[in-house]
Amino acid sequence: MSLLGLSPERESASAFEFLLNSQLANGAWPAFRGDTEGSWTTSLALSTIVVTNHTSEACQRALKWLLAEKGEEGHWLWRWKFKTVDRNVRFDPDKYGWPWNHGAGSWVIPTAFSLIAIKQYTVCARREASEARIRLGVEMLFDRACVDGGWNSGNSIVYGVPLRPHVEATAIALLALQDERRNEVVDKSLLWLRQRAATVRSASSLAWTILSLFTYREPIQQLQDRLAYIIGDGTDIRNNATLAVVLLALRCGEMIHPFMVLR
Amino acid sequence: MSINRRRALGAAAAAAATVGVEARTLWPQHTVDYRRAQSRVAVLNAEAYSEGLEETVFRGLRLFRINVRGMRVLLKPNLVEDLPEPVNTNPVLVGATARCFLRLGARQVVVGEGPGHQRDTELVVEAAGLRPMLREKQIEFVDLNRDELRRVRLKARYSGLGELWLPRGVLASDFVVSMPKIKTHHWAGVTLSLKNMFGIVPGMKYGWPKNLLHWHGIHESILDICATVPIHFVIADGIIAMEGNGPLQGTPRELGKIVLADDPVAADATCARLMGFDPLQVRHLSDGSRFLGNPRADRIAMLAEPLGTRIRPFAVLPEFQYLVAQ
Repeated sequence: MSLLGLSPERESASAFEFLLNSQLANGAWPAFRGDTEGSWTTSLALSTIVVTNHTSEACQRALKWLLAEKGEEGHWLWRWKFKTVDRNVRFDPDKYGWPWNHGAGSWVIPTAFSLIAIKQYTVCARREASEARIRLGVEMLFDRACVDGGWNSGNSIVYGVPLRPHVEATAIALLALQDERRNEVVDKSLLWLRQRAATVRSASSLAWTILSLFTYREPIQQLQDRLAYIIGDGTDIRNNATLAVVLLALRCGEMIHPFMVLR
Repeated sequence: MSINRRRALGAAAAAAATVGVEARTLWPQHTVDYRRAQSRVAVLNAEAYSEGLEETVFRGLRLFRINVRGMRVLLKPNLVEDLPEPVNTNPVLVGATARCFLRLGARQVVVGEGPGHQRDTELVVEAAGLRPMLREKQIEFVDLNRDELRRVRLKARYSGLGELWLPRGVLASDFVVSMPKIKTHHWAGVTLSLKNMFGIVPGMKYGWPKNLLHWHGIHESILDICATVPIHFVIADGIIAMEGNGPLQGTPRELGKIVLADDPVAADATCARLMGFDPLQVRHLSDGSRFLGNPRADRIAMLAEPLGTRIRPFAVLPEFQYLVAQ
């Protein structure tokens, strides 16, 4: 994402080179430099390469890794457990997506990022395996939606009590569903996000909201103005992920949307 | 089943149990032992989150005669969601504690947290009301979900994780203060100073929630994390606690107490008793008693208020009814 926020060509080229050099032998990207395990950032890296029009065999290796990766509940034994003895969290274990890291269950945000990356990369020539994995991931997102719309990390009802949605998770899940047929879940979630956006004061949540609403052709100018006011000169932003997403949101509509999925 | 088969199975079970006990002795699950001969706990009365809290905490800290002069002190509150009281450790208590440690000569006081549910830490910090306090007192906040990381070999083997990536902001601290909100927890039974340390595990690597820890066992992961990053002191927020379906959807319970301790197991055992629970029914406390600290009342010196005998147990989900002391 930092790469997408850069404009001078030389910086952009060296950032891209860094990105390619960080790919692991199995096609995945680690969560940070120095780590040796593939992680949820693989989908972000793949999206970046695709939208910056860099064709690279790195994409094919990343896709292969993404198609093979799944939440632990994708294993039959865990599916059986969640269907029979462990029913405290309401979800359908047959509908699984992607974990944050290998060995854990599926969650909303890594599933949404993986869906976006696979959709973007395979838009011109999608094979059956990719389509099947996309459909399963989309079903997982719908299954994990909160009762009144929106998403949180992925637990909609725990011990019979509905949990509330989160702004970032809702915005990112909606990004993954932008090209899907509109339904009640999407409409309720959009409505919730629009209403919640009016009071969000955090830069990261507001930036993700802008990027998401834009793909649904919702007005974003006022939200961009508020984001610019909140961040001021940017010196209070302490992490690169927030800085990158803020830059992308402020320039949303002026440049290629990094999470846009073509139909 | 024939008698012979029953006998054979019984003998096999007994042998397995014996081997298990022997294995634990020969190959212990932990490589550290933080237990003291006598742990110290102070239960302080505090009716509200008010200005006077600083003096209450300061008086409490002086009972322990702790020396933090020249140290970097990390305050680790429990910040979970952008929800109102009593989900998060109250910012007034965090601010009062920060000022107390500075008064005691700490070189630097840092507040650090890596929320496990909400990916947007800023949103949680704002909603918890912590931002004005941090700004006013120029206290640094470290987002432990996105800090620089170092790979660390775990000092216990309960979870089987072997190692974890942990934030530099935690590892570079001289004195770690766990500041939990006293709450029931729908997976762990209770969330107190030991469970609070889940927040030092970085979301950047392990996600939101830090689900790998759940797959490897919540109690087991708590034990491994607390063996590796020792808690030096506990200040638990029980002024308004949470009962029922915690840690997010329970109901407020006015307990009117702050619990200070130099031993996290003693602190959590005392909090559990204040909740009307049997601490040894909490698995990470019973297992933690082998190396992290003392849960038994006869190994805990009470420096301030006695616990009292008329305790109305906290409401719990039916699955956790076994926690309630008989």
